[in-house]
This record gives sequence, C-alpha cells and structure tokens, in this order.
Amino acid sequence: MKISLNWLKDYIDLTGISIEEIIEKITYAGLEVEDVIDQNKIYQNIIVGFVKESKKHPNANKLSLCLVTDGKNDFNVVCGAPNVAAGQKVPFAKVGAIIPNGKFKIEKAKIRGEVSEGMICSEKELGISDNHDGIMVLEESLQEGISFSDAMSLNDIIMEINITPNRSDALSHIGVARDLSAIFNRPLKFPEIKINETKVKSEELAKVEIIDNVNCPRYVGKVVTNVTIKESPDWLKRKLKNVGLRPINNVVDVTNYILYEIGQPLHAFDLDKLAQKKIVVRNANENEKFVTLDSKERILKSTDLMICDAERPVAIAGVMGGENSEVTFETKNILIESAYFNPSSIRKTAKRLALSTDASYRFERGTDYNITVWAAKRAAQLIQETAGGEVANGEIDAYPKIIQEKNTFVRFSRIKKILGYEIENKEVENILLNLGFEIINKNEDKLELKIPSYRNDIEREIDIIEEVARIYGYNKIPEINKISITLEEKVDNSDFTDKTRNVFNALGFYEIITNSMLSENIAKEFGNPIAVLNPQSSEMSHIRPSLIPGILQTISNNLKVNEKDLMLFEIGKIFNQKNYQINSFEDFEENEYLIAAVTGKVSRDVWYEKERDFDFYDLKGLTSVSLNKLIPNISFRIEKNENIKNYYEYSVKLKIDKDEIGLLSKLSNKILNQFDINQEVFVLELNLDKIKNIEIPQKGFVELLKFPKIYRDFAFILDEKIESETVIKLIKESGSKLLHNVNLFDIFQSESLGKGKKSLAFQLEYFDYNRTLTEEEVEKDFRFLINLIETKLNAQLRGA
Amino acid sequence: MLEKIELIKKNFDEDIKKVNDLSSLEEFRIKYLSRKGIVTQIIDSLKDVPKEDKPIVGKAINELKKYTHSLFDELKNKLESEKLISEKFIDLTLPGRKKEIGSKHIITQTLDEIKNIFKGLGFSVYEGPEIESDYNNFEALNFPDDHPARDMQDTFFITNKFLLRTHTSPVQIRLMQSKKPPLRAIMPGKVFRNEAVSAKSYCLFHQVEGLYVDTDVTFAELKGTLVAFVKQFFGQDVKYRFRPSFFPFTEPSAEMDIWWEPKGKEGRWMEILGCGMVDPNVLSNVGIDPEKYVGYAFGMGIERTSMRKYGIDDIRILFDNDKRFLTQF
Repeated sequence: MKISLNWLKDYIDLTGISIEEIIEKITYAGLEVEDVIDQNKIYQNIIVGFVKESKKHPNANKLSLCLVTDGKNDFNVVCGAPNVAAGQKVPFAKVGAIIPNGKFKIEKAKIRGEVSEGMICSEKELGISDNHDGIMVLEESLQEGISFSDAMSLNDIIMEINITPNRSDALSHIGVARDLSAIFNRPLKFPEIKINETKVKSEELAKVEIIDNVNCPRYVGKVVTNVTIKESPDWLKRKLKNVGLRPINNVVDVTNYILYEIGQPLHAFDLDKLAQKKIVVRNANENEKFVTLDSKERILKSTDLMICDAERPVAIAGVMGGENSEVTFETKNILIESAYFNPSSIRKTAKRLALSTDASYRFERGTDYNITVWAAKRAAQLIQETAGGEVANGEIDAYPKIIQEKNTFVRFSRIKKILGYEIENKEVENILLNLGFEIINKNEDKLELKIPSYRNDIEREIDIIEEVARIYGYNKIPEINKISITLEEKVDNSDFTDKTRNVFNALGFYEIITNSMLSENIAKEFGNPIAVLNPQSSEMSHIRPSLIPGILQTISNNLKVNEKDLMLFEIGKIFNQKNYQINSFEDFEENEYLIAAVTGKVSRDVWYEKERDFDFYDLKGLTSVSLNKLIPNISFRIEKNENIKNYYEYSVKLKIDKDEIGLLSKLSNKILNQFDINQEVFVLELNLDKIKNIEIPQKGFVELLKFPKIYRDFAFILDEKIESETVIKLIKESGSKLLHNVNLFDIFQSESLGKGKKSLAFQLEYFDYNRTLTEEEVEKDFRFLINLIETKLNAQLRGA
Repeated sequence: MLEKIELIKKNFDEDIKKVNDLSSLEEFRIKYLSRKGIVTQIIDSLKDVPKEDKPIVGKAINELKKYTHSLFDELKNKLESEKLISEKFIDLTLPGRKKEIGSKHIITQTLDEIKNIFKGLGFSVYEGPEIESDYNNFEALNFPDDHPARDMQDTFFITNKFLLRTHTSPVQIRLMQSKKPPLRAIMPGKVFRNEAVSAKSYCLFHQVEGLYVDTDVTFAELKGTLVAFVKQFFGQDVKYRFRPSFFPFTEPSAEMDIWWEPKGKEGRWMEILGCGMVDPNVLSNVGIDPEKYVGYAFGMGIERTSMRKYGIDDIRILFDNDKRFLTQF
C-alpha cells in the first residue's frame, strides 16, 4: 500500500525525524517498507524551461529545433512533439537527468546532424499520466529555471508498505500514523470536523432498512443536496495521484480520500436514482444479473449481500457500486454510505467474482464499526468544501444490534515467560495506551484492557504480548547464547534416503530434482495419477504416478545440449489414486521411490579402454552393489516380469521374499520417441518405503579362512536359450558342501560351436573352514557336476 | 697404520668419483671390497697389529669398513635404478584411469548443511506426506476458513479437503499429535504453490521447518538459536535483523533478514526465514496445554538460500537438471 509522507504529516508531527529513521522504525514495528520513491530525486535536473524559439529541423520533417532557456543559459534542443511552440513553459530535462518513465539518462547528442542538449518531456515520460500525444505544457506564470518538482508540488516521499493480512487497521494514513505515534511517543492528531448542516434531517430525505443484519451489522447514511459535480481541486487530485489513485470527480474523490485517510470504504449514490429514496440491505436473488461500475455484468448468488433500493440492487455490498446509481456530472443529491459488513461474507463474494477492490480488500480484513458515523460526517464536510451543496442534519444510523467492544488482559509475568525478557510495566502500559487500548483495571500482576474497535486482530493475551514486543522492538530483546538440550530420543527420518544418495553418488550417479506435476496424457501412461483441481496449465494438471517421465524429460533436455552420457537418479514421492474419489488418505498412495537411469556411453575412447554403450548388465551390477550397501545381509532375487507395461522393452522384478521392491528395465522405443530420445535408456525403480524399514540382521564376525582354496574350471557348449542362472543354480544346488562360489567367467558364441549354441565357462571355488581339502574329494564332486550338467542340460563339456 | 688407513680412504674417495656405470663399479668393487681388495686386506691385517694399538687401529678400521660399504651401496642402488629406467621407459605423465563420482543436487546439499547445523543443536529430523488434508495444512495451523491469510499461500487443491501442502508446517501438527513434549525437530520437504513459473518462482520448492516445544521456551531463545544458525551458515560476521510479521500459526511472529551484498551490486536486506512463538490455538488444537507449554517455530526456503549462496538468479535452472549444471556442485 502506498503511503505519502506529506499526507501522514496531517496526523502526526514528525519534525526532527529523518525519513531513514521513519522507514527503519516502522519496518521494525511490523509495517515493512518495501520501496521508497522520493519525488525530489526522481525529478532531479528536470526544470521549468521557456521555449524561446522553435523552427523546423533542416533534415527531418517531423522534428523541430528549439532554443530553451532556464533563465541563465540557452540550450539547443531537438524535439519531436507536434505541439511544441515558442513562448511555452515546458518541463525540460537537462543533460544528466534520468527520465522517470524508462529510466534513461539524458546526454548531449546529435540528432540528424543537429546538437541536442536536453529533452522536453511529455506527461507519460514524467510518469504523471499516460498522455504521450505531445509535450506537457505548463502554466505561463511559472518561473523558468525552478525545479519541476517544486513547480508541480511533487515533493513528496511515497513509501510502499507491505501490510500483513492481520493489520487491517493500518490500511490507511491514520492507521500508519497511529503506529508512528506509539513508536515515537508523539500524539496523534485526528482531523476536526466542522459542518454547516441544514435543518432538514437525513432521515427525512432517505430511508435505510437492513434485512440481513448478520452480514451487515451497521449501515450509516448521510445526505448532501444540491452539489456541483466537477473536477476535484488540485490538492485533492495530487494526494490521490501520489498514492496511485486516478481522480474521477469531486464526490468520488472525497470517498477515496477518506478510504485512504481512515480506512473506511464509502460509497456515494445518486439519491435521485434510488427508487423511493430507500436503501434495503439484503441477499441477492439466485442468478440475478447486475451491472457494476466497470460496465461488466455480474451473475449473483443468493449468498451475496446486496445494497438495493426499493426495487432493485444498486451495489454489491462492500465490493463495487452499480452503474444504475452512479454519481455523474448531472447528479445533484447524494447519499453517502458508510457501513460495516461481515468480513467473511464480503470475501466470499469478492473471491467468487474475482473482483478485488480497495473497498473489498478492507472489508474482508475487517473495518472499524465505530468509525462509520465519523467517516460519513467527514465525507459530508469535504463534499461541501469541494462540491458545495447543503448537508442534511445528522445521519441515518441503522444499527440493529450494538456490537460489544471486547476486553482482554495481559499478565506481566506472561510477557516475560514468552519473550524471555522483562519489559518494565510502565513501558508496557505506555505502548498500549499509545496504540489506543484503554486500561480498565490494573495491578502489579496484570492489566485489564479494552480493545479499540479498529483492532479486530486482537482478542487474546498473546495478541497483546505481540503488540508490546513489536513496538518495544524485537531487536532490543537480547538473544540467548546458551541453550539446554533435552535428552529425548533423537530421530532422523531422512537417514535412509541420505545413505541412498551417498551410495548412488559413489557409483557415479548425479542427483536430479524434477517437477512433480505432469500433463494428463503423460501421467496416465505411467499409472493412475491424481488430478489437480486448479492446475496452473494443462502441462501440469496431474501429480506424477512414476518417476520415469521426469527422468526422461531430463535426459531429453540434456541430449538437446549434447550431453549424451548420463548416470542420473532422483528420489521423490509418487502418487497413485486407488479409489474413484479421494475422501481420505486411504484413497490414494504416496510412496517414496528412487529412479536411477543410465544412457549413452560408459566411457568415451580413452587410452586404456575402448568406448562402450551402457547396457542392462551395467545397471544390474550397480543395482546389486547398491543394494548390498543399503540393505546388507538381505538377499534379494530377480524374477521375470511377465506382464510388462508398454513403456518397457523388457523388465525384471527385484524381490525380497515375496515382496516386490523394484524393477530393472530397458525402456521401449515407443516411449523414448515420445521424449525425443534416440539412444537406449535403462532404469532402476526402487520403492524406498519397502526397503527403508527392513531390519538388517546383525551378522557376527566371520572367521578368516585358514586353509587353502582349490579351484576347478570347466566350460560347456549348450543351447543358447538356456539361461546362465539355470546352470549356476544347478551347480550350486547339486554341488557338495565344500563348493562355496561359482563364477561365470566367460561367454562365447561362434559358428564353430554349432548353430544356436553357446559356451559358458565357470570357475568353482572349494574350501573348508576347518581343514585342507584333498584333491580327490574335489575331483569327485567336479566330475559329478560335469556329468550332471551334460545329462540334465544336454550340454557338452568343452575340450573333452 | 693409521696413516695407511687415511690414505686408503682418500684413494677410495677419489676412485669412487670416477665410477659412472655398473661395469666400472664392478672393477671398483674388486679393487677395494672383494676378498683380495684393499679394504678387506687392511681388515685382515688387524690381527698383526700390536696388542696395545689394537683398540685405536681397530676402531679406525671399523669406521673405514662402514664408510666404504655404505658409499658403495648407495652408488650401486643409484646406478641400478638408472639402468632400469633407461631400459624400460615409463611415461608418468599419462592421465590416470578415472572413475567419476556423482553429486547431490545443490538443493540437497544446502538442505544437508542446514540439517547438520540443527542436528548439532539437538534437533531430530521428521518428514511428512506431500498430499495433506486441508485440516493439517491450514485449519489446525490457525488459518481461519475464509480468511485473507489463506491468500498468502496459493494452493493446488486435489479436492476441497485435500491439497498439495503449501508449507512443511503440517508436519508440526503430525509430530505434536503423535508425541508429547519436549519436542525439538526440523522438518524438511517439498512444498507446492500455485504461482506462475518464472525466474523468481517455481510451482514447487523445498522448505525446512523447525519446532521446539517445552515448558521454558522463549522468544529470546528462538532468536539465539536462529542467530547461531545464520552465523554458522552464512559466516560469523553476517549482519541480521528481526522484524515483526504475520503467520497465523505463530504469535509473536517475525521475519529474519540478512544483509546481502552481491558482488558489484548495492547491498540490501533479504528475508531468509519466518519464525515466531507457536500460537496457543495451535497447541490447543493438538491437545497440548498452552498455559504450561510454550513453543517456537521457524521455516525457510531452501532454493532461495542455495541461490543466494551460489549467486544463481533464475530458479528454473535448479529444475532443468542440465548435466553441465549438475557437475558444478
């Protein structure tokens, strides 16, 4: 919200306090100043210039050559505006000035061969309006050479203050001044109201009836007759422009002025347009149509609160007035509305209509129900000052049920307990008094307080403690430099994923983090995704049911920048809907997964090895190594995956007992093409939720072998369709107790072996922990195995 | 006799300087150290020395023996290794065989750093689900229904009761519901905001939440703990400030800023975290007596912290996962 320093000074004396100090202190009290615009600095080097001469540019039809003076020196200026003429007073930007709109610096230049030492500015260039039809022409009476900001009284400092949603009381100049009053301990000056009222009472000229008094607890009306609608005086226009408002006419401007002065939104109706000169506050009819001030038709719901006349709606309460009762230049008689609405009702309507106005913004945060009468009077006073007319006597105050002012208390001991620091009782009292609290009762333990009606954020003791702390200053509360640590059980939920990351890093994988939201098409290919009700775009309409699309997108992006050899992994949540509707946590699954992918080359050509593409066995090996680290002593097995999804070319299951913990797969060309990937991709998907809580058996130390091992090698020619696993299993299951390891050390395929044949070579490792083996016993087992393999697998021992 | 020994030493020194390869070394050995060599002979001649001179002469001979043998061995080693190198050339400048080690994403790295600091201060680490109930994400955290405070966090809804969590604070609720105080934990995780993707904001980011509930927790301790954190994370001489702010689930609430001066740019205050004393309504909502227990909570965004640390000005690069980016960290 924009707050003008000059305007603030109407309500508090800030003499002797620098702007820097104001900004710092007010930020430290919770009204964060995000930006400061110092108009004096903005218009530096821009002055009132006098155009002595203006003639055509010799080399360009649309340009003029002007001679501009600041009273002392003359400057040659090339000007492109059609309306420039000798004898004008103009805003003149000298060399060195920075043009506010566009922030470019004026330098001496040659334009089409003619020297130009400055620029004559348009209103748009000066940031005053959007007018860029020509240069701005100033009043003739202005003295040439004086600064433009002085000439236009643009000497204000505007602060952009971020008001948090709880501080509706600070959404006005008086609201901000009230905090300053507490910070600097200076009195707040409330504007005095003096109006000449006629004998006719407002009640005789208009009527107000509240039907829904829950959503409209108070409605104040005041009538001003015989006004003249016209442009506002300069002081009023300037104040509004400085806080970013566009002046409209004197009456509307006054209502906006009061909104920014005290925070009470007002509305002015053309009284003669109200049927029976009556206001009825009631709910809209379902699907009723209504045209708001911005000429848009709105469709209403029966829950929307409306301001109506005797026949029809004339405004959406607290949000925006209607075209049908708008104040125009023909308006003579005015009804000022100054109401208090239920914040949640206004919010619902404004949100549903996606219509946020200065009024709705304040009403939905809560306004001051006690300021309504004052604001109506203040409006009448200013309307009379700017638009003439007669102010009717008194106000119509429809206030069916008086709102009780709230009380609370604060214990000094509690302030100390929460803050860990003692603030003197006297100081506490003083802060609260300056903020407008009334002390009803006090003793040495506590204060009983009446809460001012503009502080609808305050109810409880803790709210009071915050008020005291923020005005006292958070930075004055010393920070403790010693803490005690309680000895309750320490837990780290992220232990396992951290370990997983370390293992995959050590194996050469880089971690990635991808978007959890996908397009519907992609998401549905990979599971049963959950839809987002209000997605940002169709590209992000569903939550990922798998980590595959994210890693494929990453691979695809990397291929585009020629990064082709990739080892990547991601750890993240995936989501699948289980039931048709989501009514509880049981209706969907959220699981933590790991995906690891290898693609491209294991290594490019180097002096010690030839380049080679990643294949399935690379990832398979990395998987075993990583699982042995992550869940040591737990044996997992690999099982064929019969029913594979079409995004896999082939895939195997990783299982611990009966539990499937993951998949190891090659992705299909179909899916790779979809992501513009033209190289093979192998992925490991691991369900971390299934393995992170596996209890790792504490294995004892295994004694180191004291006796020699005996090795035997053999190779068989067998059918190429026989899987190595089958042979190994047969050897392991049928071999003697002394056989401890079987190592497949060579695979060979050639025409010479016969068609459809291959050769597998194994090394068998025999030993015993308790004795040295004899050659005979090993030989016996070895012979037995050869025989077995030859008969069972129809194999032929090589070299036999 | 002693003069003779001295002379042998002198000759030995002169002759050894002339040795320049293994064959001349062999000649040299034969001359001095072989069974018939000069040094061996003088050792043998010790037996002929009169008894009374033996101690002195014996010592001199012994020293000569040690001296000549050690000089000879040294030279022999040197000549042999020179010969080896000259016979088989080894190029020690060839690049070594490399094995690439991957890295954690910088978001994880930053998170780890933050986690380690707080674990050192006695905090546990808890995680929670990313799809949350409206109750845990808002209601229990004292966000009233239909209150503008809800606009502070643009939400992706799944249904009107379920949503993608907008902050890690619901983990506070889960923790306080499942365990009794004292509770001291940080809660890292992914959060989602329905904001247009741009250089400044992404539809998801990571947060770390902190919570401490006990009977004697104070705002002064919250400040002390966070100051200890920023000093450890950003450096001991970091400039910081606390200013009042508003979060529905804490009161008093504050934001902590640090003074940030990027190279070649003007310095300014930058918000790094939000914090405050746990609102009594939140404690009541989870069945903790707010009169007896006090708590503090804080939360910070990881992306912004990483970006500040590494001078990254476009958040989207964090989620592009370009290998050229990943390998930098």
